[in-house]
Parts: sequence; C-alpha cells; structure tokens
Amino acid sequence: MEAANKKPAGKTTFSDYDYSNFYYGAGDDPLNLLRPFKEWYEEALPNGYYLYSEPVYSAPGTRIRVKNKKTGEVQDLLNLASYNYLGISYRDEVKKAAIEATEKYGLGASGSPILSGTFDVHTQLAEAIASFKDKEAAILFPTGYSANVGFISSLMRAGDTIFCDQYSHASIVDGAILAKSKTVFFRHNNPMDLERKLNRVRGKKLVVVEGVYSMDGDVCVLPEIVEVAKRHGARILIDEAHSTFLFGPNGRGVAEHFGLDDQVDFHLGTFSKSLGGQGGFVCGTQELVDYVNAFGRSRFFSCNLAPPLTAGLLAGLRIVEEEPQLRARLWSNVAYLRRRFAEEGIDIGKSTSQVMPVLVHNDAKVFAIAEKVQDRGLFLQPVTYPAVPKHKSRLRISVSAAHSEAELETAVGVIAGVLREEGICRS
Amino acid sequence: MPELTRYGFRDAISGFFEFPTENAKRILPAHLEPAELHHGSSIFSMTAFDFTQSMVGPYGEVVMSVIVSPLVKPGERLPKAAFYPYLVGTTTKAARDHAIERWHLPHWMEDVAIGFAREGTQVTANVAVGGAPVADLTISDYSWSPVAHLYQSFMKDGDRAYLAKILMEGGQSEHEEETGHLQLYDHPFNKDLVLSEVSEIPFRELWMRDGMQTFDPLIQLETA
Repeated sequence: MEAANKKPAGKTTFSDYDYSNFYYGAGDDPLNLLRPFKEWYEEALPNGYYLYSEPVYSAPGTRIRVKNKKTGEVQDLLNLASYNYLGISYRDEVKKAAIEATEKYGLGASGSPILSGTFDVHTQLAEAIASFKDKEAAILFPTGYSANVGFISSLMRAGDTIFCDQYSHASIVDGAILAKSKTVFFRHNNPMDLERKLNRVRGKKLVVVEGVYSMDGDVCVLPEIVEVAKRHGARILIDEAHSTFLFGPNGRGVAEHFGLDDQVDFHLGTFSKSLGGQGGFVCGTQELVDYVNAFGRSRFFSCNLAPPLTAGLLAGLRIVEEEPQLRARLWSNVAYLRRRFAEEGIDIGKSTSQVMPVLVHNDAKVFAIAEKVQDRGLFLQPVTYPAVPKHKSRLRISVSAAHSEAELETAVGVIAGVLREEGICRS
Repeated sequence: MPELTRYGFRDAISGFFEFPTENAKRILPAHLEPAELHHGSSIFSMTAFDFTQSMVGPYGEVVMSVIVSPLVKPGERLPKAAFYPYLVGTTTKAARDHAIERWHLPHWMEDVAIGFAREGTQVTANVAVGGAPVADLTISDYSWSPVAHLYQSFMKDGDRAYLAKILMEGGQSEHEEETGHLQLYDHPFNKDLVLSEVSEIPFRELWMRDGMQTFDPLIQLETA
C-alpha cells in the first residue's frame, strides 16, 4: 500500500482538515474539491458545524427561538449572538415605520440608486446619518460589505497602495482586490509596523482600520495610527461597523471617542450592527459623496435598500438620537459582564467593547463546548480557524443594551460552568 | 508494490512567513500558483530537519519553500498542503547527492551547518555556510498530538516537473501565537528573497519530533 494512501482513497478525516484545506486545489476540473469537501463536511456537521446557520424563528431579541439542526427541536434560548447592540430592530416604532413604508412603497426599490431606485426615504436616511455623524454628506450602500468594497474600489487604483490591519474584515480586503491596488498588511493594531511599511512606499496611500475589531472586540489605537499615517501623507478610512452609534460622546464612533473625527478622512459604518438592520454608509464631504456615487460599483450595480427597511432604519436612528441612555445601558452591561468574566477567570482577550470573545484556546474542544452551552440554553456560535488563528478559537459574545443583568448573570453561569467542566478556566 | 523512501527525524521545525506574492511568483515555475494568506501576500516557509535515519545515514537539512496550490485529483486523498522547495541545504554530500538523484531537489552545492538549540519551550535552528550565517529560525511549542499528514512537494528540474507525495508522521505542535522569529542574513543562499519584505515573525509555527517522513515514488507531471 502506498504510504500516502494509508487512509481510503479520497477519504478525508474531519479532525485533520478545516475550511482552509478546501480553498486551493490545482487540477483539470473546478469541481475536484467538491467531493473531498462534501466528505469532510458530512463529518464536520454532527461534530459541531451544525451550530452554524441554525434557523431562527423569532426576532433577534435577548430571547430567541432557534431550531437545533441536530435534534430538529425549536429551542427558546438566551441570545448573546445577534448584533442588535442597542436592541432597536424589534422596537414598535421601527416596526411601525417599516410597515407603513411597506404599505406606501411595497417591497423593494426596484432599481439601482443611480437610476430609478432612490426614494425619498433613502435621501432622508442619507441626510440623517450625515447629520448624526456631523458630516457634510453621506452615501448609502446595500450592505456594510458593499460599502467597503464599493468605497475602496471607487477611490483607489492599480499602482496605489492600501495598508490594512492584518485582522481586517473581508470586505476591506475584497475592496482592495477590486481596486487592483497593492495591498500591504500591517500587524494588528501596531502603528510601528504600519510605519515600517509606509516608509517603503511612494504614491497614493490609504490606511484602513476598524473602530472595533469584530473577532476580538479590541478598539483601534487610532491616535497612534493617525499620527503615523499623517506623517507619511496617507489618507485614513475608518470602518466603524461595530462602533457607530456606540462610542463617543454623541455615539458617532471611535473617531469621536478619541477626538479625531476631523483627522480621519473617510468614515464608514453599517446599519446592521447597532441598529440591527441592514445597509452601509460612508460619510464625508459632498464632493467625496458625488465621486463615490459615480464610481462605487458595488452600490450602483445593486438594487437600492428596500424602502421599508430604510424607513425602519430612519426610525431606529431617531431612537439612537433621542435615547442616549441606550448607550449608557450598553456600556453598563459591558462593564458588568467584563467584571463577572474576570471574577470567574474567563479570558476575553483584549476586548474592551460589546464584542467579547470567550477564548477557549483549544480548537479540538471548542465545538463540544459550544454544543454544551447551547444545550444549557445559550445561543452563541463557536469561531475557529481559519476565521481566527489556530488555537484562538472562541465563543463570540455580542452584548446588547437590551440584556438585563439577570440574563447576563445566567450567561456567565452557563459559560463558566461549561468551561470549568472542560478544564478551560479555573474552578 | 511501489518503493517507499523513509527518513526518520528527531526534530522538524518549520516557520511560515508572509512575503509578497510578486516575490513568490518570481521563484515559482509557471505551472505553480502560490497560496496566499492575504491578497498579495504569499507564504514562505523554512524547515530544518534533524534526520536520524535514512539511506544515507544521519544528516541535517534546511528546506526553503513557497507554499503552493496542491494538485487535487478525484479519488485521491486530499493533501494538507503543498509546497515548492526552491532551495535545499544539507549537512553531507551523500544526502545532497541522494536527494538530487532521487527527488530532483535544487540544492546549495556546499555542506551547510545546521545547529539545533533547545531552550525551554523554544527551539532554534541556526544555519550557516562556511562559517557565514544564513538563517536563524526560532519557534516554540504549544500542545502536542500524534499526526499523520499528507503533503505534496513539487519539483522542477530542467524542463521536467515532478510531484512527490510525502506522509509526515510523528508528534506535532502547531500554533499561531506569533512567538517565533526568523533572521535571514544577506547571503547568496537567500538571493531569491527580498529580505526586507519577508516577515520576521512566523504567523504559524510547526514542530514535529520523533517522526517519520515517507515519500511515495516520484511522479512526473505533464505540465512542464
């Protein structure tokens, strides 16, 4: 028997492989990877991958109804997995606005934003978000992903250089790919490495950072990044997907939090996180918006945001402006959970935000832990390699202003109990 | 029955480093594509072996490679990864002659000195040629588990291209803690790399010990 074929021909073993092994494959047929992937996935599903994409049967509130894909049972779970950081998406005012807009406009925009798909609600939302962010103008995108892809590729070209944090969201990387610019990755949140890399480059430069990094929940060291970027003549884009409506005295984001709103050139955000809706936006000068309107392909080759959704977002934005206590409530919840996790010896890495990774540090155990956590009533997903580095597997928590202290305490109890049973944290 | 070639080793330590895809493409033959960690960022790997058993006795070996897209065929076991060793250094002439003849691997044609130094959880491989330093690779361990992983190695010799399937068995520690380090020296051994653009910190560190490397017979490819 050939050494390389000790295992049955074509047979893969779940624990030997992960998603990364099924991406590259040379050969004569683009379908060659499908069979090995199928065999692996069939084994991966009952071993924990079933926890992904479990159908939800209710609003993404603090309690949620989820169909367990292993048992088929619809369970009522405590939800710490949905964004909805301010608990707004299911508020009566938001639902009412969306219902009224459905009555008025029907389902969709039925057109590109540069042709027939811009409605009065789109214009109102763009003006409202520009005003909220204290910027001259804003432009809307169908999703946050589309905003990064469309904005970056509208501005940067072949021959330019885009500097991305190594933990950049895929939408930033994909925007750089579409721009055909040279992409240089600097070490995570490391201005010294950024400087070392900026030193070598001439021509147009764009530095892209995120206000809050989505897997670790750590905040961008923006003052140092801005200082380095400015010194090297680079423009700065901040993606505030997880920080708009939350950080800063007025909730404008991490740039406002650091008093650097005017130092950052381009401000990008989403409506899908704090508002629990959908859509992305970029704020800046009117001339910037006009230019992106002309060259942001991901936007104008998509249908515009559905008017009922847009109306709901407008209502949600009004709530954010009228109820700053929601932000205060969220930060109180974050502080409570951080304190309780510290008391229980649970490692949340460098998170200082509402995104908290419960670090398991054991790729082999993370699915079993996630399964136990769900069986005990918590809706949380495992995150493992290649989404995060090897052995940095985790359960990713999204804290909401809507959570009660009792709910958070229940979550701490379940998580701490399971981690102790699995030997991940101290007794 | 196909003839297998086995090499027993005490340590096999690897560091995986980001370097520009432009550099990777300059190294690779036309029929191979680099695997990218990020857009524009490919993977350079350095592996140092401390072989204890082989057809040519004990010896040390350093392998400089680019990680490439594996060749996937229906019905065959999927490899964990594939690499293109663009330069190999060995501590003995016998090992060099053997690997050139059998595997068509491109070699540095002088003996290289490879020292392994363990300190705590770390191991360092110091590579030198004629007393001049070439590379110092330090990695650390994490948790150990037995593995039997299949890899592919691509070779190019003149106008001929080859593929070797390699089974790596033994205890393995693999992590991405970014605790290791690579120092590449300005030496002709490293002429294929733009040294300032190779990351000094491995994004992945892989350490195998007390293992066996088993080669299937060489396959000649039609893509040359």
